[in-house]
Amino acid sequence: MSLRIGIDIGGTFTDLVAITEDGRVTTHKVASSPHDYGEGIIEGIRSLLSREPGSVTEVLHATTVGSNTVLEAKGARTALITTRGFRDILEIRDLRMPVLYDQHWTKPVALVERRLRLEVTEKLRPDGSVSVPLDRASVAAAISRLRDERVESVAICLLHSYANPTHEREVADAVRTALPDVAVSVSSEILPEIKEYPRTSTTVINAYVQPVVRAYITALDARLRGLGIDAPLQLMQSNGGLASAAFAAAAPAHIIENGPAAGVVGGAALARRLNEPGIITFDMGGTTAKAGLIEHGEVIRTEAIEVGGGVMAGSRLLVGAGYMLKLPAIDLAEVGAGGGSICRLDEGGAPKVGPRSAGADPGPVCYGRGGVSPTITDCNLVLGYLDPGGLVGGALRLDRDAAAAAIARDLARPLGCSVEEAAFGMLRLASATMMRAIRAVSVERGRDPRNFALLAFGGNGPLFAAGIAQELGIERVIVPPLPGVFSAFGLLVADTEHHASQSLRVRLDAADPARIASVLAALADAGAEQLTRDGFSRDRRLFSRAAQARYLGQSSEIVVPLPDGEVTPAMIAALFGEQHERIYGFRAPPEEPVELIGLSGMARGLPDCPRLPERIPPLAAEVPPMRRAWFSGDGWIDTPVIDRAGLGPVGGSVGRHGPFIVQEYDATCLVPRGARAWLDPFGNIVMTVGSRGSG
Amino acid sequence: MPDPITEELFRNAISAVGDEMVLTIFRTAYSGVLKNIMDFSAAVCDAEGRLVAQGLSLPGHLCSIPVALGAVLKHFGDDIAEGDIFINNDPYDGGMHLPDIFIFRPLFADGAVIAYAATICHHTDVGGRVPGSNASDSTEIYAEGLRIPPLKLYDAGKANTTLFRMIERNVRIPGRVFGDIRSQLAACEIAARGMADLVARYGDDEVRRLMVAMMDYSERLTRHCLSELPDGEATFTDWIDDDQIDMGVPIKLVCTVRKRGDTMEVDWTGSAPQVKGAINNTWSYTAAMSFTAVKSVLSINMPNNDGVFRPIKVIAPPGTITNGKLPAACAARGLTGFRGVDCAFGALAQLYPDRVMAASDGGNTGLTIGGYDKELNPFIYVDFISGAWGARPWADGLDGNTCMFANMASFSVEVIEAENPLEVLDYEFVPDTGGAGKFRGGMSQRKTWRMLADEGILQVRADRQTHRPYGLGGGGPGAYGRNILDPGLPTEEKLHAKLTMTLRRGQVFRHDLPGAGGHGDALSRDLTMVAKDLRDGLVTIDAAARDYGVIARGDPPEIDVPASEALRAGLHATRKPLPAVAWEPAA
Repeated sequence: MSLRIGIDIGGTFTDLVAITEDGRVTTHKVASSPHDYGEGIIEGIRSLLSREPGSVTEVLHATTVGSNTVLEAKGARTALITTRGFRDILEIRDLRMPVLYDQHWTKPVALVERRLRLEVTEKLRPDGSVSVPLDRASVAAAISRLRDERVESVAICLLHSYANPTHEREVADAVRTALPDVAVSVSSEILPEIKEYPRTSTTVINAYVQPVVRAYITALDARLRGLGIDAPLQLMQSNGGLASAAFAAAAPAHIIENGPAAGVVGGAALARRLNEPGIITFDMGGTTAKAGLIEHGEVIRTEAIEVGGGVMAGSRLLVGAGYMLKLPAIDLAEVGAGGGSICRLDEGGAPKVGPRSAGADPGPVCYGRGGVSPTITDCNLVLGYLDPGGLVGGALRLDRDAAAAAIARDLARPLGCSVEEAAFGMLRLASATMMRAIRAVSVERGRDPRNFALLAFGGNGPLFAAGIAQELGIERVIVPPLPGVFSAFGLLVADTEHHASQSLRVRLDAADPARIASVLAALADAGAEQLTRDGFSRDRRLFSRAAQARYLGQSSEIVVPLPDGEVTPAMIAALFGEQHERIYGFRAPPEEPVELIGLSGMARGLPDCPRLPERIPPLAAEVPPMRRAWFSGDGWIDTPVIDRAGLGPVGGSVGRHGPFIVQEYDATCLVPRGARAWLDPFGNIVMTVGSRGSG
Repeated sequence: MPDPITEELFRNAISAVGDEMVLTIFRTAYSGVLKNIMDFSAAVCDAEGRLVAQGLSLPGHLCSIPVALGAVLKHFGDDIAEGDIFINNDPYDGGMHLPDIFIFRPLFADGAVIAYAATICHHTDVGGRVPGSNASDSTEIYAEGLRIPPLKLYDAGKANTTLFRMIERNVRIPGRVFGDIRSQLAACEIAARGMADLVARYGDDEVRRLMVAMMDYSERLTRHCLSELPDGEATFTDWIDDDQIDMGVPIKLVCTVRKRGDTMEVDWTGSAPQVKGAINNTWSYTAAMSFTAVKSVLSINMPNNDGVFRPIKVIAPPGTITNGKLPAACAARGLTGFRGVDCAFGALAQLYPDRVMAASDGGNTGLTIGGYDKELNPFIYVDFISGAWGARPWADGLDGNTCMFANMASFSVEVIEAENPLEVLDYEFVPDTGGAGKFRGGMSQRKTWRMLADEGILQVRADRQTHRPYGLGGGGPGAYGRNILDPGLPTEEKLHAKLTMTLRRGQVFRHDLPGAGGHGDALSRDLTMVAKDLRDGLVTIDAAARDYGVIARGDPPEIDVPASEALRAGLHATRKPLPAVAWEPAA
């Protein structure tokens, strides 16, 4: 039996999911081993293979190794070569900061210190013509400094190289010839787009993490071979597509934020299968909750992200906390609310949830590992929503009395209410915080969440989904199979993708159609070449493209998907108007000139067989038949507890009325009074909730 | 549900309304000023006009909204109906400066006003003698553009066409102004929906009660933070270079802070009489800079609303630069705001020396180059250069970071060159400009432009070119800012800090931002920090010896530790005591 394996490394756990060609699923969860992530992976694969022996045909991987390298400042010794007079672009950034009224604000330290930001004498004009020719002596001087400083990786970013890459290439060739062991990242290859700061920062991030990621991938690959696995290793990119290990090792900037992407990709595959026109994904783990949006089966991408910026309360306005990475990534809003989030009263007596988290160590009070501050998990436990018998199939026993005592001391007594009321109130607050992430991906983009279904996963997502859906006026909640390892599952249903872009600034009413056609053709050729390298035959390649455009005079552009076939400037302008109206609610009169900023392409390799199984049969779990649980309005009531199989036959549509609790190996789903839940043909829990409020 | 939890849920929900108003403006506005510089704010006020929830916004707008709304309520208190929209930009009747147009919409529940949606946007142009309505050398408000007193833009849902036509005929780009007004109206609509949801959920009486509770909560936190600080009184004096009219005549800023118990007074008595140039503040702008400075020394960043203002009293005598009287010009009062924050910091630093940074760069330098390209198409390039923070008692000042009072973005060099007949020659830190200290002040940034068109008009609003950013706690001052024409050429010429001139083809203009003040004794600066600055080229070998008592040699420079320690010991023994506030470098 052939087997495909998805591996998702998170901060706390490494999740593995294996799927056989006939759709049998096996999962494994191990504690992550930050000193050597590969160790946990190999251990996990061994365990999977012992339970489901077979020949592994694919290994699909999402890893935090790239983002951790940035967060922990453990990247390569990196230099930057840039145009004379502009070496501080990297440090000045765009000046903006993410906090106000705070003298303690500290900028993220530039990934290349100033002494290693080297200048060469040259200058191009915006049209790519040469204003100052490249001075070879200055290149030689820079190379000699690279050698003296024992630099391991170098980013090359010269002004206006998006319009003419020859100077950058000449510098890169000189470095490669003189210093063959130094990794070289060239801005006109990684991001040939106007605006020097995003281009420089992105190229520098690539250079900074590249030797680390390359070493990681090489070592993991070798260990897989050591296990007798000869299937190729593939990595998830931040944009939701898979890429070969070789591509990821050369251009690791594309895989930096890939962890959260996989769950959304899984959601998109489910949306296509279920014919759901709109899904909001809600992924809640131990420290944060993330929301994403899927429309017509496609994920929504953003043009840029910040690496290592932390959680910014779901707001897109406060920028500058992290390192600018201008590459397409799945658009997620993240808030600091998870199972480990600490609940407290502030100096003004107001109750607060997070963003501080007890993490996995010491963890919530109920873990009994030294945590003293009550957390969201403690609140769920004292209300009876979680099984005191333990998490992860009983592997971790929970101390309910300790949790209740901490809640009484820190919350209930100062608030003058019962432990249950305090715990319930904190869960409502956590929900309110998470709703802001959901609003950030929907309302803030002109979408009404009431027109979407909520797909809840992550260890804690299914506990909160019904309450959040009620508050937002969302009618349906879907809890997929394996909710606790759904991100690893998402890896198994992703497609290979390559994204590329090219600056092309021209007014569309004066644009040369041939120039646009030739750029689009070049993007398509580059994508085809990548897919050929990945082994996709001509009939298994899909190419789609988009334009970035704006009204002349506007300061930010929007992405306009382009149809297949011939594309005229007038067509782009018309499509732009439609898209502007869709996003912003209005468009300018047709005579208003539209400016093209750039073009982008996505090449997708299509699998030769469906990657999503027909159904995933529910796994049986041992659960107590009944538990006392507390609900606002009801107080303590005997609440039925069932496993997923207990919801009745797959595809049965009668449904069961709440309140009850569905308890699984790695997640618990709460079905409150007024809600009804059943299993759909795929094996999802589908729940309808009575609406409490509106969007 | 225990009441504190209900209150917190409400705070979360109404704050989301404020933030969504801000996002609506951000998404739909046309002007670069609004998008790049985020020069706008939005808020929800209660029926009495008190600020309840402010969206993420510019510190300079803090507390401007209740003042402007107060003027509207004074005029229309008993004449407010559903469907009314109010407009106001008059600095002498609640406004700030003419480009800042306020739009208010009363929100009703059960036939009575329950709240006001409030927005303020800096508009690209409101008429007057110069494009952008933002010149620093106007001498009367009448030259600065269209003055709109508190008026109904819509009366019970019906557009005031007279007013619309008046605006249309008096601004240079009415399409853009009306576009941005539309985005303000859209934000008010978002607030109306959000408040309707809240009323549906909680009921109108409960919403009123929860709004009061929210203001009380911020007041509690503010008083708590103020109580943590020792009582005291301190006065600080600083000088603006001049107003570009009375050239070379410095303008005095005096700030006295009085802290007692859980209250604070910020008193600007003693500041210069109002000036001819357009840098006079309104009371509300002086209040904004006062609150910004005070908030920045408190230990908690509480939600901005009326509760924050209650324990903090701002005194700005009428007829001074901190509270101009008609017909004082005020378009470029941003400069006074930046400098006012530094002055208030100077006063606060005497009371709380471990909580306050040394002087920053004096605020951003505003620069405009406009004219016509080869095809006689107009171009206008507006930029702000900003970003040296004063050294802090615990850390170096930031290099290349937007100043506290604003949160502006810089422009891309590549975009400047692609869109304008300009070449940018450099954009980099200037060595030896950050004030010396145990903690170094932020570095000056240099930006240099070459004119590629036949000619254009260059306007610059800069400062701190005759009065350095001060150092604190024994730290040295930052470097002067500089404007230079044709640097390094025979035609090189030092220019005035504020200027309007013609720049001709091939001419080069260079601006060096001031460096920021240092903090603490430079001779006690950690040698590894001096070594890093040396290697990074931020401090030269000569300056290391002169300012830090550090001997270094070579390229890259290496410190001679024994020689440095000997030099430092000698300097310690012979030098004069360091001043608490340093305006000039130690001899």
